[in-house]
Amino acid sequence: MLVLSRKVGETIYIGEDIEIVISEVKGEQVKIGIRAPRNIDIIRGELRQDVSASNTEAVIKSLDLFKKH
Amino acid sequence: MKIQTAYFDEVEIDQTDILKFHHGLPGFEDEREFILLPVQDNSVFQVLQSVQTAALAFIITNPYEITAEYSFVLEEATIHALQITNENEVAVFAILSLKETIAQSTVNLKAPIVLNTTNKKAKQVILNNEDYSIRHLISSESKEG
Repeated sequence: MLVLSRKVGETIYIGEDIEIVISEVKGEQVKIGIRAPRNIDIIRGELRQDVSASNTEAVIKSLDLFKKH
Repeated sequence: MKIQTAYFDEVEIDQTDILKFHHGLPGFEDEREFILLPVQDNSVFQVLQSVQTAALAFIITNPYEITAEYSFVLEEATIHALQITNENEVAVFAILSLKETIAQSTVNLKAPIVLNTTNKKAKQVILNNEDYSIRHLISSESKEG
């Protein structure tokens, strides 16, 4: 993974049209601004992981529930 | 073509019915092709079966059957990825996590599957919406209804 050190107000470009701005650093929290085209999904990592965990739980183990009806 | 499935043995499917998830699903990024199969005698639920992995299948339902109030705005990213040109070609499904009973089971209203019924492109969308839960208890609705 590429790791860059940045100060508040400094930016990073990813490709031509995605700009990441470090907007505030307070204790353990970092506020990040993201400018990106509207066709790019921006999702918090833990939310995506939670959906991934939920999908894994949801894999069918048995269809017996439906056979009882 | 014929595919192996988790619960229906070998099934003959039409290539044109295959749903195409360009980036797979979160947790299953390599699973790009799925097919909808009926659950016997049950029109509310369907099986979303992986074409490539027989053991991988989900139960999905129409989220509007679970909660009539369900609504969300389709993001530009989704419209773009699925090449949606008309809202009439959009279908929405929600994935169930089956428990002992249907009432104890949960449904993922936070990350619905959006399908373009015209070109069969599909995507599990993650909503930026605090109103909906990843594990919405189905019985919480049936009590009200």
